[in-house]
Amino acid sequence: MDGAIDQRLGVALATEDAEAEVPPLKRNRRGGFVRFAAIGALLIVFVVFAIAAPGFLTRGNLTNVVEQSTVLALLAFGMSIVIIGGGGDVIRGGIDLSLGANLGLCAAVFTVAVNAGLGDATATVLTFAAGASVGLVNAFAVVGLGILPLLATLAVMNICAGLELVLTQNTVLTANSPLLAYIAGATPLGFSLTDWTFLGTALLLLVVVHATPWGLRLQAVGGSVQAARSAGLRVPLYLALSYVSAGLLVALAAIVQAARLSGSSPGSGDILLSVVLTSLMSAVFSRRLLPSIGGTILSVLFIGCLINGFQLLNVSSYWVNGVQGVLILLVVAVRSVSRRSGEV
Amino acid sequence: MSASIAAPRFRVTQLVRWVTPTALILLFVIFAVASPTFRTPGNLLHILVNNFTLPAIVALGMTLVVSAGGIDLSVGTSADIAAMVAVTLMSLGHGLALSLAVGLGGALMVGVVDAALITVLGISPFLATLGVLFVGESVQQLATNGGTPIYLVSNFPAAGLDALAHGTALGVPAPLWIVLAAVIVVQVLLGRTPFGRHVRAIGAAPQVARYSGLPVRRATWLVYLLSALLCGVSGLLLAATVKSYVPLSGNAFLLDAIGAVFVGTTISREAKPNVLGTLIGVFLFGMLHNGLLLIGWNFYWQQVAIGLLVFAVLGASFATRRLQAAD
Repeated sequence: MDGAIDQRLGVALATEDAEAEVPPLKRNRRGGFVRFAAIGALLIVFVVFAIAAPGFLTRGNLTNVVEQSTVLALLAFGMSIVIIGGGGDVIRGGIDLSLGANLGLCAAVFTVAVNAGLGDATATVLTFAAGASVGLVNAFAVVGLGILPLLATLAVMNICAGLELVLTQNTVLTANSPLLAYIAGATPLGFSLTDWTFLGTALLLLVVVHATPWGLRLQAVGGSVQAARSAGLRVPLYLALSYVSAGLLVALAAIVQAARLSGSSPGSGDILLSVVLTSLMSAVFSRRLLPSIGGTILSVLFIGCLINGFQLLNVSSYWVNGVQGVLILLVVAVRSVSRRSGEV
Repeated sequence: MSASIAAPRFRVTQLVRWVTPTALILLFVIFAVASPTFRTPGNLLHILVNNFTLPAIVALGMTLVVSAGGIDLSVGTSADIAAMVAVTLMSLGHGLALSLAVGLGGALMVGVVDAALITVLGISPFLATLGVLFVGESVQQLATNGGTPIYLVSNFPAAGLDALAHGTALGVPAPLWIVLAAVIVVQVLLGRTPFGRHVRAIGAAPQVARYSGLPVRRATWLVYLLSALLCGVSGLLLAATVKSYVPLSGNAFLLDAIGAVFVGTTISREAKPNVLGTLIGVFLFGMLHNGLLLIGWNFYWQQVAIGLLVFAVLGASFATRRLQAAD
């Protein structure tokens, strides 16, 4: 690629950006408003449940919310990292549709390994190897072959779901092991190990993605591939790492899930759409209206509170999907109306 | 972003465009050699009627949507709502024509919501239709007490319904006539009308289309309404075939439809969605399901194999394109 074309690309990019975006100062204020509204909605849901739902505000129930949300949170962190690195455009940007199926596959790998008498250490290593391999395949497809992430991860999703079925023959497999018993039973400092996993991963990723050079460069890659490349960043490396990190988070989530369910059960893939929703919703909690780890934590807790509060209020669980759907539409509508560019 | 900038530099040779048809022919030959049952005319017709028609109709709608630069994740919702409404009406004793018409109306409502969210509120198609998918799931669960199927026990409208699913005209099964009609409608709309040109222009460069004064909103509305309508037809055909409405069954169409449309783009010179490519993609998937079953692979391995095949086809075509773009 010669210099003239590079320059033209730069100009094209600059004008495109100038047209697409409102001036930074104004946008920040609008972003601030959306963020304020989103956090307000979270608080309102919280207060309503605290008043209306008996036992919502007890410490036991709140840790329960965290515990129920941990698997979703770990997957949503993975999705957010992929979106942060790949950019927000859902067709051309970063997205990982294989997360849900990978969860099922990893849980099956762990369960089958434990049942085969391989021991916790080996089973854990195998599970993380499986999660990371799926991430590597995604990375190879997106970075190496240049397939659109939406399609590449769709194909990988099919492969993972099929492999899970091959491993489990589409049945519920129970597993008992010292590790699973420990995760399910141990309560260091009064919180369950699952709570600690949520907390630990959240803090770690907050620091890694938003406060380390690696994280900032990942955000730069997601912001503009051209600019990141011009600045000398190794774009393919960052993209590949984002998919592999997501795969590793899935493996961790699989072990948490195996401990919760005492094994693996078919249908883990169903969590995918909730993951997409949670991760994309995280954007409304950030000032620049981009997915972020902090925003993901908040939107996971939001959805967790919602599901838990509905249970306490004896509202049918059939409403949960609908309310989630309406919520995301509301939230993104507010966001797009406040931007008024016609495209999100 | 990089793809849209690099687009004019693509010199897609014949090679890429032949990846999918070659895979299709190769697999056909392999199955025909491996399984004597596969190559019987009866089985080939079986593939067309049972593994092709329903996803093909949905995928044709998706072709329109993707041509306009969008995506429709609510295809299953439209199909399910149509089936739910029609089967409920029939089980209450209403006539066939009325039930089917109101069912299609139900599917259209889904399209109206999609289009309104996208054009009026300016939500991205992915998120808008994802939200509708979620709401649609809730609506069905609430309406069916968590997902209990509705069976058409009385054989009151069954005669007409049966003709729809299993009847023939001129020796050709009725569902194939419906697919043919859908193919003609979508092909003519997309290829030979101002609407089709607008759709493709919006898909290529939405900003340019808007600034050029094209009726972007109207075209977007039509695209999502047509997609919902086609999905509704598919849902009704499914209900007619199984003589029942099974909640959330339409979601099975979603990934096959998206996969088929994008596999179909590989046969186009400009890597655009096109009717023929979509049909080839759907047929490829249908043939795989049928062929793998006949050579003795169970459902689990079928899913792995289909994933691997889509991966290989997309990988081959995207990698070649990337190499050519780098030249």
